[in-house]
Amino acid sequence: MYLESRGLKIVVADADRAVLEMLQIRLDLAGHETHIARTAPDAIEMVRSLRPAVLILDLQLPPAGGMCVLESLNQRYNRLPLPAVVLSRQLAAGDIQRAVPLGARDCIAKPFSGADIVERVARVLKKFPSTWGSGGQIPPQPNGSQTLHI
Amino acid sequence: MQGSLNKIRSMEEARVADVFDLLAWEIELAGARCIMLDSMIGEVMNSLPQEERHKLQRGMHSVDLLSQHLTGLSAFARRLSLDVTPDNVAPTVSAVADVSLGALADRMRSALGGEEQGLDDRHNAGNVDLF
Repeated sequence: MYLESRGLKIVVADADRAVLEMLQIRLDLAGHETHIARTAPDAIEMVRSLRPAVLILDLQLPPAGGMCVLESLNQRYNRLPLPAVVLSRQLAAGDIQRAVPLGARDCIAKPFSGADIVERVARVLKKFPSTWGSGGQIPPQPNGSQTLHI
Repeated sequence: MQGSLNKIRSMEEARVADVFDLLAWEIELAGARCIMLDSMIGEVMNSLPQEERHKLQRGMHSVDLLSQHLTGLSAFARRLSLDVTPDNVAPTVSAVADVSLGALADRMRSALGGEEQGLDDRHNAGNVDLF
């Protein structure tokens, strides 16, 4: 299990209120501090101001989509200084190929269960710690590859 | 749901798959609230003397069963949302109008393509009777 990480700031960006509230309750109960955003500009601002440990991001986030959030944050920081977990109703291979170089460490297709996502986020937190304050560089993988849990 | 690119037509002609998807998320949310309640009961129970804990144990067992009940229903609705024929549609205006909890109705309305009023769970949540 991967539940030892607790007390971390997490930003969840999704347009859907039921999804947001469900994730907030689940992640708070897992011991984290969850902040929610319903638009791409809000998500970018929250990451900038809160420096969370992980960003959970819906690729269909309005108005321009979650990929724009990843691109904007990569431009701002040169490279994404925190792991992203992307959610998508229509998870296509092209989305994964675009999201991974932009910092996506897990891609979860909707619909998913709340129990599943808590464990997968914990796994990402353990394997991909954020690098705020250390030059924005994400530590390389031991085997030099990027792992996706789909 | 609301932010998804492949939906929504209208509340008068909502895709049945989207309706099941919406139900699955709402049931999932209810299940998460149940788990929160279970956790709170657990905390209260730990603060009680040993001889009084049994009073809460039955309630805790019921909440646990309810949580599992909701998890099962959510999985059922989620699977139906994936398996139902994409062309099937259903009118949802009257059904949503029958939902008396303001925040729930507002979430459902906006997820089905209607106008969101921004109601939260403080609206029409009912009175809390402490006595």
